[in-house]
Amino acid sequence: MTLLEAIILTVITASTPLLIAAIGELVTERAGVLNLGVEGMMIMGAAVGIAVAITTGSSALGVLAAILAGVGLAAIFAALALGLATNQVATGLALTVFGLGLSGVVGAPYVGLQRAGIGKIEVPILSDIPFLGPILFRQDPFVYLSIALVVGVSWFLTRTKAGLVLRACGENHASAHALGYPVLRIRFYATLFGGACAGLAGAYLSLVYTPFWTSGMTGGRGWIALAIVVFASWMPYRAAAGAYLFGGLTILQLHAQSAGVPVPSQLLAALPYLITIVVLVLIMRVRSQGAAGPQSLGTAFVPDR
Amino acid sequence: MPSEPTNGEILFVSMNRREVLVGAGALAGSAALAGRAAAQSPLNVGFILIGPVGDFGWSTMHDLGRRRMLEVLGNKVTANQVEAVAPPDFDRVATQLVRTGSKLIFTTSFSYYQATVRAAQANPSVLWESATGTTTGSNLAIYNARFYEGRYVQGVIAARKSKTKQIGYVASFPVPEVVHAINTVMRGAWSVDPAMKIKVVWVNAWFNPGREADAARALVDQGCDVLCQHTDSPAPLQLANEREIFGFGQASDMTRFAPKAHLTSNVNNWGDYYASRAQAVLDNKWSPSDTWGGLASGMFRLAPFTNMTPEEVSEATKIRDDIASGKLHPFDGPIVRQDGTTVIPAGQRLTDDQIRSMNYFYRGIEVTMPT
Amino acid sequence: MRLALERRAQTTLAMQIASPLIAVALTLVSAVVIFIALGQDPARALHAYFISPVSDAWGLQEVAVKATPLVLIAVGLALCYQSNNWNIGAEGQLLMGAMAGTWVAIATHGTPNGPWVLPAMLVAGALGGAAFAAIPAALKTRFGANEILTSLMLVYVAELFMDWLVRGPWRDPQGFNMPQTVVFEPEATVPLLSDGRLNIGTPIMLVVVALAAFMMVRTLKGFEIRLVGEAPKAARFAGFSAKRLTWLVFAISGALAGLAGILEAAGTVKQLQPNLSPGYGFTAIIVAFLGRLNPIGCLIAGVFLAITFIGGENAQIMLKLPLDVTRVFQGLLLFYVLACDSFLLYRVRLIRGAAA
Repeated sequence: MTLLEAIILTVITASTPLLIAAIGELVTERAGVLNLGVEGMMIMGAAVGIAVAITTGSSALGVLAAILAGVGLAAIFAALALGLATNQVATGLALTVFGLGLSGVVGAPYVGLQRAGIGKIEVPILSDIPFLGPILFRQDPFVYLSIALVVGVSWFLTRTKAGLVLRACGENHASAHALGYPVLRIRFYATLFGGACAGLAGAYLSLVYTPFWTSGMTGGRGWIALAIVVFASWMPYRAAAGAYLFGGLTILQLHAQSAGVPVPSQLLAALPYLITIVVLVLIMRVRSQGAAGPQSLGTAFVPDR
Repeated sequence: MPSEPTNGEILFVSMNRREVLVGAGALAGSAALAGRAAAQSPLNVGFILIGPVGDFGWSTMHDLGRRRMLEVLGNKVTANQVEAVAPPDFDRVATQLVRTGSKLIFTTSFSYYQATVRAAQANPSVLWESATGTTTGSNLAIYNARFYEGRYVQGVIAARKSKTKQIGYVASFPVPEVVHAINTVMRGAWSVDPAMKIKVVWVNAWFNPGREADAARALVDQGCDVLCQHTDSPAPLQLANEREIFGFGQASDMTRFAPKAHLTSNVNNWGDYYASRAQAVLDNKWSPSDTWGGLASGMFRLAPFTNMTPEEVSEATKIRDDIASGKLHPFDGPIVRQDGTTVIPAGQRLTDDQIRSMNYFYRGIEVTMPT
Repeated sequence: MRLALERRAQTTLAMQIASPLIAVALTLVSAVVIFIALGQDPARALHAYFISPVSDAWGLQEVAVKATPLVLIAVGLALCYQSNNWNIGAEGQLLMGAMAGTWVAIATHGTPNGPWVLPAMLVAGALGGAAFAAIPAALKTRFGANEILTSLMLVYVAELFMDWLVRGPWRDPQGFNMPQTVVFEPEATVPLLSDGRLNIGTPIMLVVVALAAFMMVRTLKGFEIRLVGEAPKAARFAGFSAKRLTWLVFAISGALAGLAGILEAAGTVKQLQPNLSPGYGFTAIIVAFLGRLNPIGCLIAGVFLAITFIGGENAQIMLKLPLDVTRVFQGLLLFYVLACDSFLLYRVRLIRGAAA
């Protein structure tokens, strides 16, 4: 296997949790809901995922439990931000703090335990193609799921009526309501979807990436996912590009260090963040379509009847 | 599980403000007197941790040390511990430990060192110990373990195991402890095969499993087939297991995380040190010592050798025992820097302070020292 | 069946006071439930968390010291958020301010200096934070780049930059090559006000709160901030420039965060080192919202949150309750405050029928 191939495989692994969480949050935000609690939902997914997987011995149950954990936290957010029209930024932050703390409590008995990570799926014959084979046809199920999510969400948002309605809730909830659409219910489901994705991303971390539990193991990835949604101008394929860009830069800077590039390691480590800013600015200069995001993003919807 | 209430807690619950102040003062005074004589009430030992107890690395091992101390000394001691204390909060936590009756306090990070010095001066009736601190005081001891001794053995084993002759080092920060560890790994490796090389990736964290795994992948992809780590999570070892190469764990015995890849680990063992220090206070024999314990002291040990041939095991065991007995010293001369200047010639040995402040790589290590 | 919210015509003062009190009461009830579930005595646990931090003069000083950076930053953030500028990068601005002030301290280290050193450090800190906050402001006004992303990314950049400084150029030459600067000289240290840890940072913070409150209520600028946030079109019609306001509020909040940063470095820690801030910049966001984006509210919220932090430490010492329980509490407290506040604005009714 060449170095380039190895690097690409590592980049895919590093970018997948970012992508999964970002896609979920993208749908939530397209419906007009700003949920800053991604980090909290993700780490709860990681904690619950590995706790259930170790206890039951089943990875599948662990993943399912992680998704449910994400959905559960998202439901708390929805009850407050949608049901009681609380400020979404504050509610999301509270969710992050709450999720971080609760994950520590849930995960505490599992510190120091480990299990085999979920293995890769190998497509026979195709995966033996040199170079492209392993990259495309020998990946763990989460990678394929993340691609499916990108394609599926993009199709849903642009090609289905339901997606159009969801976007309308995000752009102008008053008009959507006037047209008779159940804005709050749509936003509710979008929020739960975002929670499911965040929980799934967390499960990836604790069941595949580094299969054990330690407190704080998401390491801020939830915040990066939020940034990727903005970077992507709320479009799914761009979110994939953003996730791979960020993951790629993170991995490349490690390779640069290992190869002895004489640049301070802190500067190399800062590159992913700096380049993300630069690319965002360049995108803004080239086109401003969709740049500001859904118009009603973050504003509570309280129907006046 | 709730523990028995200490005198301090009962005071807080049942008294009003002024009585608390008076009571706390009286308690501190009487405890100081009592501590000097044969103590009847248990010794209250405090611990301040830089990270969470669940970090499964540096702070977890100190927490385990605390538990071991409680095990060894039973009801002669009680322990109070605060985790994840950031430097601005240190003064308050230290003072609160003193107020609630701690007489011996371990501060477990160099980030706390200067603040510990100040706290020791402000609280002369309390005994302080700073892990990885640099200078003692009248009521301040410092302690650390000579982890580099284990690194030498790791280097020897790595040279035996490596086919590509390249070691990968997942490093945290370019502090002297990590730098002299890297140097010592190579010294051990060169004693077996002078052609060994090393690659280093700086993760810029003591603990970040995802990044450690990524760093390990980068090293392996660039041709390293034995991994050393100076970070605390099992992530690099898990990667080694997945890629079917070898690796060394860190801070705890990580065999179960990488059954096929694990060779050995430096296993921190603070508990016996903590127990002996607490016992010293109880016996009124505590002194502000500078303890830098090597293998012989038990402050750390090497995890059992796994995945090695009998010859490799006996070679590693012999070297380990030679280091422990003092026959072999990793910092004997000659020591030459990358730029060619000689630090010490053959026949001399680096002083502890020189080891503690080492900020250069040996000649033959092709890694640039960051800044 | 669903909940319907009806906007209230007005909220009485009694309700405005009752709301946070009810939220606190709900948090305490939840706390009791959690304590019992963990096998703790609820009375002792509540005491450890909420009473012990304020039970004596030393405790009150510690609350003040802990609350000061939180309130300083939160006041600035409140100005930003009221005008729809989402500055998430206060943590980075805090670190930049700490670095800027430290530069003055290091430059004057070892030579005899006058009492001008500390004020110069504080001013440098404020300027450093403001300059760093100008970056997301510029990117927003010039290019329309979303300030949430830019300010957040810059936090990581600031952290790494500080890491490089304390490991490289600013490393203490006598410090055994450990990543920290020299310990600041006494003139470069924030003076104490008593025999506890109370320092001049707290009076500075109180002055800032008073000034901000005055500005928001009595000046045209305060009106402009609120109007730009609530009714941007009306604000444009009135001739207020949202772009200029963005520059202003970012500069102010950056300056306050930077000031908080240098006060921490020169006050409690007395040197610059990598883990200087336990996330004050992010906690301050919570404080700002708890305080309803109102300077006086930020003061109260900051004090309350400081009590929960210190109470959490005491709970670890006295009850062996883990740190994570404190976080769960703080999250719950926020949830309840937000929910109760919602009842101030809306009346909740159960309606049978189709959803909205």
